[in-house]
Amino acid sequence: MPVVLEFDNVTKEYRSFASKRRLRALDGFSLTVEAGEIFGFLGPNGAGKSTAIHLAMGFMRPTSGSGRLLGERFGHPGTRRRVGFLAESVALYHRRAERLVRFYGALNGMGGTQLENRARQVLEIVGLQDHANRNAGKFSRGMLQRVGLAQAIVNDPDLLILDEPTSALDPLSRVMVRELLLGARNAGKTVFLSSHLLSEVELICDRVAVLHRGRLARLGRTADLLRAGEQTEIVVRSVPVTHFEGAMARDGIVSFSVPAHTQRAALEKVWNLGGEVVSVNPLRRSLEQIFLEVTADPQSAASKGVR
Amino acid sequence: MKPVLLIAINFAREQRWPMLTLLLWVLLLAFLGLVTDIHRQREDLLFVFKLDAVYVSAFSIFFGGSAIYNERRSRRILTVLSKAVGRQQYLSGLVLGVTLACAIYCFALGLTGSWTLGEAGFPISHVWFLMVCLVSACALAGTVALMFSTFLNPFFAAGATAIVLGLPALAGQIVGPQWGYVIPVWELGATVVNSSFSSPGTASWFPVALAAVETLAFWLLSARIFAYVDIAVAVE
Repeated sequence: MPVVLEFDNVTKEYRSFASKRRLRALDGFSLTVEAGEIFGFLGPNGAGKSTAIHLAMGFMRPTSGSGRLLGERFGHPGTRRRVGFLAESVALYHRRAERLVRFYGALNGMGGTQLENRARQVLEIVGLQDHANRNAGKFSRGMLQRVGLAQAIVNDPDLLILDEPTSALDPLSRVMVRELLLGARNAGKTVFLSSHLLSEVELICDRVAVLHRGRLARLGRTADLLRAGEQTEIVVRSVPVTHFEGAMARDGIVSFSVPAHTQRAALEKVWNLGGEVVSVNPLRRSLEQIFLEVTADPQSAASKGVR
Repeated sequence: MKPVLLIAINFAREQRWPMLTLLLWVLLLAFLGLVTDIHRQREDLLFVFKLDAVYVSAFSIFFGGSAIYNERRSRRILTVLSKAVGRQQYLSGLVLGVTLACAIYCFALGLTGSWTLGEAGFPISHVWFLMVCLVSACALAGTVALMFSTFLNPFFAAGATAIVLGLPALAGQIVGPQWGYVIPVWELGATVVNSSFSSPGTASWFPVALAAVETLAFWLLSARIFAYVDIAVAVE
């Protein structure tokens, strides 16, 4: 798969003019995003996610290292014609929604009836067709985020870079965005998604990276990351809870987890005790657990390296 | 060129409230023209005309000095520069936007001035020449302010602009008049302010051409500086 976004050992330091203090937002950050995937970009506040996105968009320059967006160095204006971007806390001009979308489309070189039709189409996609003639200045945060999304997709981009695209949306709109992103992937587009909504990332992202203190702390396929741990949850009935370590009982149902390779022995023990097996399920970790693991350990990025 | 025009028109549109406030002064001139005896009160009308001209010069510094800051603070700049718009194009849009906003005002002032002052005996062609002087002075002042605003906040940008525009004027007074043309904003302003019914002044195009060249030079310098500026404001 061709690489659409690439960070190569990128470091970014913010320097305070007055105090001469330096804040290292990204520290030797390397990452590649391949075409046709939905890539989840996670990390706690201050991890450097937005900095990485802003570098990719050419809003700032790396202190050291380099990167490429759709094959061109960061900051190449022509490349951005093929990119859709939605900033965190989107801010737009106070214009009628349709005019606004057309304005941003025109900045990307679109025009004429093609732009008019596309503007109407994208407003319909984000569910704002009835508000097309309303001033965006009077929109709620959720509606503003949806207009932001509309302007990001107006040029039918090959790569979508979205920074917290659903933070202000209601559950219904989140489903709409999810379907939009899945549809984009099915159409061969790439989505680079930064989000704190881990359940959502878990649902739609093919690969995930967790950034912590400017460094890549975890990187891998979502399914692989969630499978890691290899534990099995066993739920049984009619067995004394004391026979299994860490078991919990509720309404006569006992549940416990064991390493996958000892699952058979545990089941035999249940049967020997005269118990009845209700269910046996491979235990999946959640992204939240992984996220908490990474961010709880201050040395995780430095000591463990990228996994 | 299309993105530059779009950004310029959008900028002028965003300045509609300060512009409308400014245009009230032009309206005052028109009102005075209606209610007073134009021939008897012509010196007063000329004074208001000059006052209006001074206001737009000050506003051009305000427009230029605050444009990038406001866009960065509101984070609107991110969405614009996420499109196929180069930083030089963006800056060109702002320069053109500042000039456009001032030109709209000057056009309104020129129309009203032609009617009121023209009626009182001031050469109408000279009114329009003064407006050209004013627009070129505003374009230059706005571009200098915009250049400083690429790396300073609006307050310091306005201060720095005042110093850069004021020093040649001061040198022109103390050392020799030719120094006033180093950055000819003051000279162009003086052309407007010193004009009178008895001596409207001569139409010298040299400072206008010089201002146009220097606007181009400061625009290039601004673009060079702006290319290296981190525009994403929030340090996480």
